[in-house]
Amino acid sequence: MRALSLHLKVLITLLVTLGVAITAYQIFVLGIPVTEDETDDLWNIDARIEFQASPREPVKLQMYVPPLNQDYVSLNESFISNNYGVSINRANGNRKVTWSARRANGKQTLYYRLVLTKRYSGERPIEKGPIFRDSLPVAGAEKIAAEALLAPIRQHSADVETFISETIKRVNAKGDDNVKLLLGGDNSTANKARVIELLLSIAHVPLERLHTIRLVANQQQSPELWVRSFNGEKWLYFNPDTGEQGLPADRLVWWTGADELLTLDGGKKAEVSFTLNNSEMNAIRLAKLTDENTDAAFLEYSLYGLPLQTQQTYQIMIMIPIGVLVILILRNLGGLQTLGTFTPVLIALAFRETQLGFGILLFTLITALGLSLRSYLEHLKLQMLPRLSIVLTFVVVLIAIISLLSHKLGLERGLSVALFPMVILTMTIERLSITWEERGASHAFKVAVGTLIAATLAHLLMSIDELTYFIFTFPAVLLILVGFMLAMGRYRGYRLTELFRFKAFLKD
Amino acid sequence: MFGLIKRWKALEAKGIMGINRRNADYVLKYNKRHLYPIVDDKILTKERAIAAGIHVPKLYGIISTEKEIDNFERIVEGHNDFVIKPAQGAGGDGIIVIADRFEDRFKSVSGKIISREEIDQQLSSILSGLYSLGGHRDRVLIEYRVTPDPIFKSISYEGVPDIRIIVLMGYPVMAMLRLPTRQSNGKANLHQGAIGVGVDLATGITLKGTWLNNKISKHPDTGNAVDGVQLPNWDGFMKLAAGCYELCGLGYIGVDMVLDEEKGPLILELNARPGLNIQIANDCGLAKRTLAIEAHLETLKKQGVSETPEERVRFSQSLFGHVNEA
Repeated sequence: MRALSLHLKVLITLLVTLGVAITAYQIFVLGIPVTEDETDDLWNIDARIEFQASPREPVKLQMYVPPLNQDYVSLNESFISNNYGVSINRANGNRKVTWSARRANGKQTLYYRLVLTKRYSGERPIEKGPIFRDSLPVAGAEKIAAEALLAPIRQHSADVETFISETIKRVNAKGDDNVKLLLGGDNSTANKARVIELLLSIAHVPLERLHTIRLVANQQQSPELWVRSFNGEKWLYFNPDTGEQGLPADRLVWWTGADELLTLDGGKKAEVSFTLNNSEMNAIRLAKLTDENTDAAFLEYSLYGLPLQTQQTYQIMIMIPIGVLVILILRNLGGLQTLGTFTPVLIALAFRETQLGFGILLFTLITALGLSLRSYLEHLKLQMLPRLSIVLTFVVVLIAIISLLSHKLGLERGLSVALFPMVILTMTIERLSITWEERGASHAFKVAVGTLIAATLAHLLMSIDELTYFIFTFPAVLLILVGFMLAMGRYRGYRLTELFRFKAFLKD
Repeated sequence: MFGLIKRWKALEAKGIMGINRRNADYVLKYNKRHLYPIVDDKILTKERAIAAGIHVPKLYGIISTEKEIDNFERIVEGHNDFVIKPAQGAGGDGIIVIADRFEDRFKSVSGKIISREEIDQQLSSILSGLYSLGGHRDRVLIEYRVTPDPIFKSISYEGVPDIRIIVLMGYPVMAMLRLPTRQSNGKANLHQGAIGVGVDLATGITLKGTWLNNKISKHPDTGNAVDGVQLPNWDGFMKLAAGCYELCGLGYIGVDMVLDEEKGPLILELNARPGLNIQIANDCGLAKRTLAIEAHLETLKKQGVSETPEERVRFSQSLFGHVNEA
């Protein structure tokens, strides 16, 4: 009856069990990583478009951008252009961005930036495509050459797949007169693709050109031409130069069709250059970033389902119970005297913005100055609200001066004080001065030091990244904390300082 | 580490009560939150006490609005000395003790002349909440000025010594005489440097004392021994303290009393979270005694009877008296 009532025991057991169970479920069943170390690749693609705008003419620039319905997920896409209107439209499975401006002069530079990653989860969309096409018109010598080429291809192939690879092989064969005639002396990949398409069209096999970007960092490149055909079940990809089949995993389809990447009206000398680089990102973060495009359902109802900005706030907020726990332990188990219950936590939060060492210095300095002002105001016998307002104003001015001085001295740290700590500082000064009056300077000093110690400890604990990640990802841990706090609520043992306070009893 | 565990065990064996235990087992258990205003507001305490027939310094008057400040003259009419107090003040702030009149003005204890305007100013400050902790509007009470019994002259330094008795459910648990020192600036608060001297519950004879968590046997300012002094009218103090349970309804309180030259024991104020240093002053743990009282209450409950304040005092005295005679 004395220690923990049954009610409380049941409640604590329930909370702890629930917390452990949910966390275990998250870790072992959902497979959410326990640490932040598990990372995925993140690609950052910049397409830089430069051109010379013609004076006195409206500019309209169209460029294909990745359709993003394949194995990749866009995390962020931006169109960087001054004074240009931007619109995006989809057509035939492609996406096209149109930049337009009424007037532009001289050299123009536009950027397209895409951040993407491999699809985190989810099923692949069902593929579909044409399986029949009409023959392209062909006549005369070319018709004869084409038919001459097709006869052995038919003989050597069993299905669409082998038919296409055989065709590509033939077109790439050097010294074949029929091929020479069809190519007309132009050995470019684009021309080969044209010939391959012609040959296949006669056999009613549809073929689509696609232009890919290779995901490789820090390497100049231009879109690479591939062809593909739909065999009724899936797309078959071929390299028109080599006959190589299957699209390598590091290729990103930029657009399909025979069109050029860019079309420009009202300008000339358009050039596109691609820059790629990659970075790594925590798997969880990635999953929630891609949340809109995938169905990572297990994250739906976690804190990762929140908008990114809000998440950052919650990452701070969710650590507050840890800070409170520190205060609880220090006060009720240790017997440390602090200013109020939660002031140390607030100060610990303020340390986030000022950094620890500088924060302690700043707090000590401002509190000391504020206290001297407060003790002067005491003589004037002011009411509480005006008095508080004066102290707050003083703190603001003081912080401004410190920022100015440290800036002049080249210490950028001084600028780090944000809005939040000001009110905390004011309250600290007020409460400290009340303590001072009621219980004397030595007690006030003791309390101030205790507060700083508690705040420092809380801050150190609250800023452990691994811990933040863990609690943010597994918020059920908080239930376990509550269980502990409940038990602490009925803790009746001595505080550490009491062992010293009452040592007079042990002398005899 | 091992030493600390040993120390813990030793304190436990002596029945020393820690803050956590006091809060969890006594303050939270016996003191209902909604009754706190009775002890926090000195006017409420006084009204209750008067209604219950418990001795308190006589209330001359209350000022609760600016307009009522005009009533001041009428309130103090016929009184040459009196005390002006904020009802919800803490730590003795805002209190003016008037010792005498001087022509049209007043004279403080230290001999300073105070004009009527200064008094009005002070009254207005108190009303505006200058001395109440949360800055709330407050009331002023004007009451009888206690003249400490000369018995304390030899062992006290300035100020008014007071007697604290911790009372659990109406049963006095432990008593202590609090003597102001030079360090405490005449205040009787232990954490401000006053001395606490244990008092034998049965006889009212002082025991050894505590000063800043240490055990002492002499007053640091006067050098006189603090133990062995017989407090007059001890049973009066005990009955007064025991009756405070009926007065406020709080089960675990510290009752602060003074001994007036003429009126005898008077209640000054009640404290819902009495400190723990009284244990050092008495060289005895609180928990042992509170457990004994709780066991007694348990048996009474089974028998379905309750005791009068006199019976409760007798029970405590028989159980806890003469603690240090051996």
